[in-house]
Amino acid sequence: MAVKVFAPWDNPDEKPLIRFENVTKKFGDFVAIDNLTLDIFEREFFALLGPSGCGKTTMMRLLAGFEAPTSGKIELGGQNIVPVPPNKRAVNMMFQSYALFPHLTVWENIAFGLKREGMEKDKLNARVEQMLKLTRLERFAKRKPHQISGGQRQRVALARSLAKAPKLLLLDEPLGALDKKLREATQFELMDIQEKTGTTFVIVTHDQEEAMTVASRVAVMDEGQIIQVATPDRIYETPNSVYVADFIGDVNIVEGKAAPLEENQVRIDWAEGQPPLVCTATQPFDPGQTCYLAIRPEKVMITAERPEGADNAVQGKIHDIAYLGNISTYHVQLSNGTIIKAQSANTRRIARRSFTWEDPVWLSWTATAGVLLAR
Amino acid sequence: MHRHTLTLAAALALGGTLAMAEEVRVYNWSDYIDEELLTKFQEETGIDLVYDVFDSNEVLETKMLAGGSGYDVVVPTGTFLQRQIQAGAFQKLDKSKLPNLSNMWDVIMERTAQYDPGNEYSVNYMWGTTGLGVNTKKVAEVLGENAPIDSLALVFDPANMEKLASCGVHFLDAPTEMIPAALKYIGENPDAQDAETIAKAEAVLMAVRPYVQKFHSSEYINALANGDICVAFGWSGDVLQARDRAAEADNGVEIAYNAPKEGALMWFDMMAIPADAPNPDGAHKFLNFIMDAQNMAAASNYVYYANGNKASQEFLAEDVIGDPAIYPSEETVKNLYTVSPWDAKVQRVATRLWTKVKSGT
Amino acid sequence: MRRFLLIAIPFGWLLALFLVPFFIVVKISLSDVAVSIPPYVPQFSWETGIGTFLRDLDFENFVFLTTDSLYWKSYVGSLVIAVISTFLTLLIGYPIAYGMARAPEEWRATLMMLIILPFWTSFLIRIYAWMGILSREGLLNQFLMWTGVISEPLTILNTNYAVYIGIIYAYLPFMVLPIYSALDRMDTSLIEAAEDLGCSRLTAFWLVTVPLSRNGIIAGCFLVFIPALGEFVIPSLLGGSGTLMIGKVLWEEFSSNRDWPLASAVAVVLLLILVVPIVLFQRNQQKQQEAEQ
Repeated sequence: MAVKVFAPWDNPDEKPLIRFENVTKKFGDFVAIDNLTLDIFEREFFALLGPSGCGKTTMMRLLAGFEAPTSGKIELGGQNIVPVPPNKRAVNMMFQSYALFPHLTVWENIAFGLKREGMEKDKLNARVEQMLKLTRLERFAKRKPHQISGGQRQRVALARSLAKAPKLLLLDEPLGALDKKLREATQFELMDIQEKTGTTFVIVTHDQEEAMTVASRVAVMDEGQIIQVATPDRIYETPNSVYVADFIGDVNIVEGKAAPLEENQVRIDWAEGQPPLVCTATQPFDPGQTCYLAIRPEKVMITAERPEGADNAVQGKIHDIAYLGNISTYHVQLSNGTIIKAQSANTRRIARRSFTWEDPVWLSWTATAGVLLAR
Repeated sequence: MHRHTLTLAAALALGGTLAMAEEVRVYNWSDYIDEELLTKFQEETGIDLVYDVFDSNEVLETKMLAGGSGYDVVVPTGTFLQRQIQAGAFQKLDKSKLPNLSNMWDVIMERTAQYDPGNEYSVNYMWGTTGLGVNTKKVAEVLGENAPIDSLALVFDPANMEKLASCGVHFLDAPTEMIPAALKYIGENPDAQDAETIAKAEAVLMAVRPYVQKFHSSEYINALANGDICVAFGWSGDVLQARDRAAEADNGVEIAYNAPKEGALMWFDMMAIPADAPNPDGAHKFLNFIMDAQNMAAASNYVYYANGNKASQEFLAEDVIGDPAIYPSEETVKNLYTVSPWDAKVQRVATRLWTKVKSGT
Repeated sequence: MRRFLLIAIPFGWLLALFLVPFFIVVKISLSDVAVSIPPYVPQFSWETGIGTFLRDLDFENFVFLTTDSLYWKSYVGSLVIAVISTFLTLLIGYPIAYGMARAPEEWRATLMMLIILPFWTSFLIRIYAWMGILSREGLLNQFLMWTGVISEPLTILNTNYAVYIGIIYAYLPFMVLPIYSALDRMDTSLIEAAEDLGCSRLTAFWLVTVPLSRNGIIAGCFLVFIPALGEFVIPSLLGGSGTLMIGKVLWEEFSSNRDWPLASAVAVVLLLILVVPIVLFQRNQQKQQEAEQ
């Protein structure tokens, strides 16, 4: 029996938890969110990814209620929440700065929201204990925020925002202040907690690796618009634009003119004196239309001899090598000056590696290895 | 609070001489001199004059007893002078430097010898009485034509004071003047030296204090002249200055001074040189300058106080020498009393009494 | 050696400018008033020696303070006026500080300037200006009569109301600045966090803003309370004859009554009363520093 895949966005009958409908937010003349429409489903771990100033934080503040949209509608569970003030929303937020109350202990910080609800003492104590346990903070309950480490503070902030069991948890760059190792460990912890509590998480991040790791779906944003929303693998494998392809991971972009062949095949004329490239397109191209071939370095083969029967093959010489331990990235300069990156796993010891600087090499890839983009 | 330093020196310096000139520092009562005399002194002697003012003997005494006041000439009242001489605050006058001493009036010198035996430390500047300054029209409005404007009852009878409160009454902020007056009113010896008698003044003063707008020793001159208040218990010359200011302003305010018929305090303001005066030589020059008959007459003509300078009398204006409020008749003089200083313990009782009168507690 | 010097300088400062004068005042407070220069005995002299000198000192002046109701009434009067005016200053100063801290960044320097600006004029002149404003014929009464709010001029000058107005006016910057600095340092996301967790604007203010500006409030209150307690210029210029404040009594004992020993005794007791809040203030400052480390 096949494992049921969690993909409510593919089910047209599924009701979204959050719906942005033509939402626009302006600050004076500056358009932070530009006529944006988006659905987020229950139990999703949804990542808003983009460079700073792209509008992702504004999205989050709209959800929390700290900002009101200039126009459009935001629904939570089918109800329009635009007029609802932040303290009346079943939404909690974990702040980038953590915003822990410095005058209260860890315990009191976690209990803060529950006390506002007027929860009974016994239930409240139990709930706080449960949160402390979930975030492994039992030993620090009596401490003040300035007496614990950065990672612990991050967990207190998480516990505090989860304590009220919100329908939706917003995380604003939650791991930005942690070092790389701790960040990676915490990412898995977050996923674990999200799964355990079944809460819907919306995370804002500018770190594409983090978004890819934790999220069920990623929305890539730019200048107040969502460029693409998809699962991490699809965002990576089939970006819908040069912007997304370039933002996520490493990529070679080759600009050229399209010449459609039979069966979705497109020929790309891209440079004088270089053989045209061939790619299987997922969308139609007009003859002569400008197109961009996006191809990930790990999908480019590097060989000393011209490989037999390759769909695409170009010749050049090694300009630079970036050794990353497990893999190496070769920067290969073609005769017209273009640099194409190719990646290969370092399965052999360094001394026995086959290529070095200035070596003439062949780069090759299949017709389906790259994605042909119109923009 | 009323310190205005006359930097005439600065004005002269503008004339061209910027050299470190000799300097005399004088500390006198406010509104107590014709300022032209100060300029004249500088012109005649070439000495720079720094002229500061005060309005209470207590303030002066605090400075004298602290020492190092920096003044060359100060002007305490007789009773205070006596005590400050005892404390060693003054130096004996070098009479060889004071040729104008011959101008002084023996009648007054006899009296001032009570405070300064042999007049060794001081010369009299002005003398006067403490009495009633009255805005005649207003008081008549409030108390009728027969108001006792020449009696202590005007200010010590609560029935009168209650009515006068509406038009404003000022008392001197000077226990050494007010307590003897209150004692005089109830028939006690105004020069009483025992605490029990002095305590009797309390009831008199407490009974009228709610109707006193202010206890202050210089503001009443302007207040009387402007018509802001209708009665001030104050010093003769100050009241007469108020009378003149009102006349000059032509504001319809008429002021009169009356020495109380029950008896008025007679006081003497004495010029003396502090023991630690920086320029005693200049101080003597200043004293001699003031004792000049014409200069002394000019001062009296300006401030409406009698002086202790016999020779000056021929230069006095008729409205000064001829005014019995300034130069009282032989008859009146008999009715004047003088007081002597209290000892430290009695002083404390008196000042405490005064604080109580002023604050009501 | 350098360490020793580092400690010696502040201690030398304290010794020269506080402890030595204080012991001189204590010595005078144990003396008796006299007609001499300076006006008290005994004077120390090498001939009679320290023994005779000490034998002549006594606590008579302190006993006198207890026998006369004027003094404790003045101490209580000062305490009451200082407490009430500190509270009123806080009430007025806090919103000002809050407004400043929440004002747009580019405005803050200007607002700060406006708070500090009055210090450019002499304190005495500013208090005299209030005499002009508050008197019966003053600006305030003229304005109120003109607007028709009142038909008879109000008597404010020479009453305790004028003293409160004077103290609040004069010490407001000392309340505003420490509170402003506490609020300015505060992370505004804390307020958002509180609202996010279910607080209304008002509860967020009480539960987060106020506790976090606590140190500023405490510092401001002490900076107002301590000088207000000993204040004498404001009560003597704006207050009436019924205004009982110990600073005024002290001034009169010293200046009008020339009773230096009693004035010194009043001062010593005033200092002892102030030691309690000053020690509390110090402790608060210390705690704050520890918290910041």
